[in-house]
Amino acid sequence: MIKIENLEKVYKTEEIETTALNGINMHVKTGEFVSIMGPSGCGKSTLLNVMGLLDKPESGSYKFLETELLSMNDKQRSNFRKQNMGFVFQNFNLIDELTVFENIELPLIYNKVPATERKRLVNEIIERMNIVNRSGHFPQQLSGGQQQRVAVARALVTKPKLVLADEPTGNLDSSHGNEVMELLCELNEQGTTIVMVTHSSHDASFSNRIINLKDGHVISEKINKSRTEELI
Amino acid sequence: MFKLNFKIALRNIWKNKTSSLINISGLAIGLAACLLLLLYVAYEYDYDTQTIDTGQTYKVMINGRDANGEVDGTADATPNAIAPLLKQNYPAVKAAARIEGQGKRLIANGAQTLKRTTYFADPDLLNIFDYHFIYGDKRTALTEPNSVIVTASTARMLFGTTDVLNRSVRYDDKTDLKITGVIKDLPGNTSVSFDFLLPWSLNEAYRSWIKRPDWGNLNYKTIIRMNPETDIKQFNRSVKGVIKQHASWSSNEMVLFPLSKLHLYDTFVKGESTGGRIDQLRLFMGLAIGILLIACINFMNMATAKSEKRAKEVGIKKTIGATRGSLIGQFLMESMVLTVLSTTLAIVLIELCIPFFNRLLDIQLGINYSNSSIWIGLMGVVLITGLISGSYPAFYLSSFNPIQILTKRNIKNGLFSVNLRQILVVGQFSFAVILIIATTVIYQQIQYIKNRPVGYEINQLVELPQEGLLYDKLDVLRERLAKSGAVLSLYQSSGTIATETSWFSGMEWPGSSEADKLQNFSQLATTYDFVKTTGVKLVAGRDFSRSFASDSAAVLLNRSAVKRMNLKDPVGQTVVAHGNKVTVVGVFEDFILGSPTLKGSPLVVAFMKGWGGKVTMRMNPSNSVTENIATIEKIVKEVNPAYPVELTFVDQLYAEKLKTQRVLGILSNLFGGLAIFISCLGLFGLASYSAEQRTKEIGVRKVLGASVSSLMQLLSFSFLKMVAFAIIISVPIANYVMNNWLQNFEFHTSISWLIVLLTAAGTLAIALLTVSFQAYKAANANPVDALKYE
Repeated sequence: MIKIENLEKVYKTEEIETTALNGINMHVKTGEFVSIMGPSGCGKSTLLNVMGLLDKPESGSYKFLETELLSMNDKQRSNFRKQNMGFVFQNFNLIDELTVFENIELPLIYNKVPATERKRLVNEIIERMNIVNRSGHFPQQLSGGQQQRVAVARALVTKPKLVLADEPTGNLDSSHGNEVMELLCELNEQGTTIVMVTHSSHDASFSNRIINLKDGHVISEKINKSRTEELI
Repeated sequence: MFKLNFKIALRNIWKNKTSSLINISGLAIGLAACLLLLLYVAYEYDYDTQTIDTGQTYKVMINGRDANGEVDGTADATPNAIAPLLKQNYPAVKAAARIEGQGKRLIANGAQTLKRTTYFADPDLLNIFDYHFIYGDKRTALTEPNSVIVTASTARMLFGTTDVLNRSVRYDDKTDLKITGVIKDLPGNTSVSFDFLLPWSLNEAYRSWIKRPDWGNLNYKTIIRMNPETDIKQFNRSVKGVIKQHASWSSNEMVLFPLSKLHLYDTFVKGESTGGRIDQLRLFMGLAIGILLIACINFMNMATAKSEKRAKEVGIKKTIGATRGSLIGQFLMESMVLTVLSTTLAIVLIELCIPFFNRLLDIQLGINYSNSSIWIGLMGVVLITGLISGSYPAFYLSSFNPIQILTKRNIKNGLFSVNLRQILVVGQFSFAVILIIATTVIYQQIQYIKNRPVGYEINQLVELPQEGLLYDKLDVLRERLAKSGAVLSLYQSSGTIATETSWFSGMEWPGSSEADKLQNFSQLATTYDFVKTTGVKLVAGRDFSRSFASDSAAVLLNRSAVKRMNLKDPVGQTVVAHGNKVTVVGVFEDFILGSPTLKGSPLVVAFMKGWGGKVTMRMNPSNSVTENIATIEKIVKEVNPAYPVELTFVDQLYAEKLKTQRVLGILSNLFGGLAIFISCLGLFGLASYSAEQRTKEIGVRKVLGASVSSLMQLLSFSFLKMVAFAIIISVPIANYVMNNWLQNFEFHTSISWLIVLLTAAGTLAIALLTVSFQAYKAANANPVDALKYE
């Protein structure tokens, strides 16, 4: 599904240049659940941002289902992103002024889905996420785990081909963290491709494959056998 | 999407109550002030537009020329012969009417008597002004001499109803008139403002000499409606010499000036209109826009200061798929929602203020809600305000980069945005400081003029119109009032001593040239006791006296007149006034008769028995004023029973002369104060956000041992710097503008540096107070809370 070649990204400030990505090569198959791990500053978040079309690399190639994405302009990127990708963040990033229902509905609105269809889709996912009785609440009225469920629901409501998760359990205690990981696994089993950045090897153990980064390079790859067999 | 954005807007307003309150109330006050000023401006612009064909309605102006042939005066005072002549000889003239104001006159329905404002007018006036006839026919309403048109309110006061066609009223206690028309009340912004209107033929019936064309008496006004498509410049050229053709001795020339423009462009220099009230109006428009801008700046500042809070929302929405355009739309809508709320509040404020404002300025403003142009204007203001105040935050906030925000990398509040905010605050305060200085200078100038010595004893002087029997029985009145002890002395005169009422030229004196005949002299006709009653200072000679029979042909001159005539030893000299030889019996010191802002002009006080109009009395200071007034009213009523007694204090009339300056003073005070208030409101908001943003920093500093006062300094200093900078910018501007303004007055004060210093100190103090309230709160908070918050 994803083929990345020779990706380079340099951050420049007035005084120093930091190479965040230094010739990354990797691929993700459809239906895979890939974890990206590595120490702080290894470039894993930058990689995720590039994959999510939130950031632009200096050079390299990024093919998504045979389409080259890096040559796109901002508008095309934005369109591609909202049609194909969903995001889950460490700090949930829900909009405080909107209710659970409205937060989940938002991407559908940007995708110009008609109102009745929106309602059906949101209700469907709210049911699936087990947060029906919360749909009228505002984010700050929910626990962290519930907030992350809402965030996951929002990422999934457009039925994206790829879900990008940036330390989804980082702000949660372990029991809520496990809940979220189980949810992601479940989604993956139902066919959604997931790429997740994480610090936690426990969380990584839920995935099919673990990619280790250091100083902007891929230093190792490990296949998680217990999960991969299911995939094959 | 619209619905959702609308929801977010409302929830944001509700959630940030303090900032919403500052935004909405600041904007509402700004909008109210702006709309009120614009209403006033519109009112002034609509002056004399109640005509049938406003573009073709003109007033005849007369240019007078001085000894050198230069135009030295332009006025709407015309001879009675112009209107009939133009109507008859010039086909381009569709209608021409003479009018003569009579002031307040008696009109009665039996015992129900009123004194109401009236004019004599040619029937053609009804073909010029678009009066709305409730009853009667405008084609015939003024054709008969014994007819009268009344306004609806006059009819109601006299008869209790407006259905009074063909009813009879008694005018001036001597003539019965038939009501031939009832018209809707006139608006406040018309120069021909009357409660009842009398036919010109009645004027001629009273005073037969008015029938004769008289090119020398400029006692009438002439209004003309031209045929469309008349080349007015060409027409003016063709009528320029008309007066000279009929009166070879006259140097006057006529010229048509658009009636609807005369109110605003009433200052003429060398025959050309150079401005007038329009200057003041432009000032008010600037003020209106300035105040609104200050309020908009508040809005922008608050919105950008909140940017960190909104950044997350922007980031998420961009990640999910929002385009920049949709975000700009959202923020603009938020400012629109706030503007609409503010406008609603502003309209409430205006409705509350209008009665007060009208009383203050003596006008009739009002919002006519059925008028579509008001709504269009209002919508325009809302749209513009919303766009101005929303545009910067919209473009600024929507420009955030989503990864920077969402991955919690520090958002640098870019150098540019901080600078712009500072510039806005500096601009706001500069404007406010200019307003304060302007306000103080205007106030000082008014005080300066007020304190200028009047030149006569203005206190204890009262006057009343000389009407009915007060002409023949003046001596009876004098005796009875003297006997009562309420009045020390009184005199009759052609006009009040409080303003200039009459001028004449053609004066000759020993050594005068032919050209000197064109010199205008102010005149006041009187009989005995003028000097004694008024307290004017004689510098030579004496007052008119009953012991000199020859005084029936005598005049008094003021010092300026003597100077103009260049007379060495004026008393006893013979001069010619109005074609009669008269003797100068006395010279008195100049007193303020005209505008108190001008230097003295030559004045002739002539002895003329037949020309009365006012009776002026000096009350006895040993009685209380109320006692004196009661006694005077009782005696005058007994002497002249048909007329109500209308006493006026001369000092009040004098104060009226400062009305324009007073209006300017009140408005600049009011709106200057508002500008400062709104600016401080904005500063308060900014300070509170700055304190909030720096909560962590303050916490850390406190833990490390910073004192409350050092923290307050830290928080307040950056704001005070901006205000100080604003003062430095604005003082020279204010100084320059106000010096120019003062040059408009012959008598003017100068700008004192003490005032400027006090203004600067006061502004800084107010700003300090505003900011330090927030700073104190922030500095006194428990540092643990501040650190936990992160």
